[in-house]
Amino acid sequence: MPMQLSYNWLLVLLSYAVSVLGSFTALQLAVAIPVATTHHQKTAAVAMAGGAMGLGAIWAMHFIAMLACDSSMQVTYDPALTALSALVAFAACSAGLMLVGSGLFSWLRLLAAGTCMGLGVASMHYLGMAAMMMPAVTSYNMGLVIISLIIAVVASMVALWLAFNLRGPLQMITSALVMGMAVCGMHYTGMAAARFEDNGGQLPDGYATGLRGDNLGLTIFVIVATLLVLMLVLYYWRQRYRSSLNI
Amino acid sequence: MVELEIQVFSDRREGLLAELGRVVAANSFSLIRQRLTQDSRGAWLSMIVRGPMEQRLALEEMLGTHSRVLSFEAALFGEAGAIAAAPVSVPTQMAPRTLQPSPVEAMSPPAQPVAPLPAAMPDVSQVEHTLPKLAHDYPQIYPWLVALENSVAEPARESSLMLAGRRTGTWVYKRDYALGAKLGLADAIKRIGMPALRALADIEQHGVHVHILNSPLCAPGVHSGCKFYGGYLEGLLGASVTPKKVFVRHLSCRSSGAAHCSLEISH
Repeated sequence: MPMQLSYNWLLVLLSYAVSVLGSFTALQLAVAIPVATTHHQKTAAVAMAGGAMGLGAIWAMHFIAMLACDSSMQVTYDPALTALSALVAFAACSAGLMLVGSGLFSWLRLLAAGTCMGLGVASMHYLGMAAMMMPAVTSYNMGLVIISLIIAVVASMVALWLAFNLRGPLQMITSALVMGMAVCGMHYTGMAAARFEDNGGQLPDGYATGLRGDNLGLTIFVIVATLLVLMLVLYYWRQRYRSSLNI
Repeated sequence: MVELEIQVFSDRREGLLAELGRVVAANSFSLIRQRLTQDSRGAWLSMIVRGPMEQRLALEEMLGTHSRVLSFEAALFGEAGAIAAAPVSVPTQMAPRTLQPSPVEAMSPPAQPVAPLPAAMPDVSQVEHTLPKLAHDYPQIYPWLVALENSVAEPARESSLMLAGRRTGTWVYKRDYALGAKLGLADAIKRIGMPALRALADIEQHGVHVHILNSPLCAPGVHSGCKFYGGYLEGLLGASVTPKKVFVRHLSCRSSGAAHCSLEISH
């Protein structure tokens, strides 16, 4: 019998807020990639932006959203797959941001970068879902899965275009809001595509040693705190840079 | 292979050799000798470079249109009085060929005091004196620009305003608009040029044409200050649409009876 899912709406809103915060920090770091003058600067900007996007906007958002979802059964997460999902998100986002941030901006680059990031969001989500250990069998509605992929890719492209082509407050705020929509839109569409069938109480191997909600909560807190610190440092550093510029 | 003697005048020396050295290297030339000196008007760079004959025109074009170059001369090295006798000039917007300093001036900066300034050369020291005030009070800068206009000799007025505009535009770009992708000219005008110019004046934009309404620098019957806006847009947009150089042409001015000041941007 399929299980009914219910959501804690406060946590759902929090998942969107974390996604926007991560996207904001990541995109503010990413727009500095084209002006990096050394290889070291470029690598640092890509790694920090990829980390903020992959771990903050996507990975942390995913697990807050999973904590918001009540399936009326105890769920644990496979540590290896959970770590792999974070790594995939980080790598895909770094690659996408490096693509769009290097050289002259073009629609081809935007398409490649948006696809890379969109697939990164989706890969993280479905790896995270595969990491779930519970007494149920998961199946998917493929139509909705494809829609979730399209949402992730298209919204990522829009967010990247806004971030790299606009200037001023519109660039900073709108791009983060849209990227947050890309991540959350993909996630919740992916969740709507999932169907959980009770398997009669059979627990998978490793269930007892899997990560629980309280383990994830601490990790998420560390990531969100890091994002906030990174954003504040970035703001402070940019203010100092602006005032130090010689006319 | 040819050897060229190149002389360049710029408003400041910091980074000049490195920037122009990159242009030289990019055109497959190598730098044999160079000398960089500074006087009250700006920096003078003399270079002897060697490279393929077929790249000569490209090198001269790139040096002549480089944003740091205010005036430029080049000739084959070793020809007696080469530059004096047969200058191969690529004049910039700011310093027309006929108004460039003589080679003797270029090779050996004149002793202080320097008077009078060559026509159409900016008064770099006055501009440098004004720039920190522009940065401090930006965007309320018109009193300083009027003071600059009044402090320089008439022949240097327009070029000084243009230099001040170019430096201010470049500074505003680095400060507020540098983060993001390089843009095409049309997008750069719309997303960088117009928001930045709106901080200084009431404007209307129609494609590559910009109308400045009620410019305080161009009251009817007095001098035109449009050169400041032209330099400002060149500095602002030049960095965002690299590697191309941006030019601003002045179509009409309120000071000469037009309804508003009109500029045309191109690259």
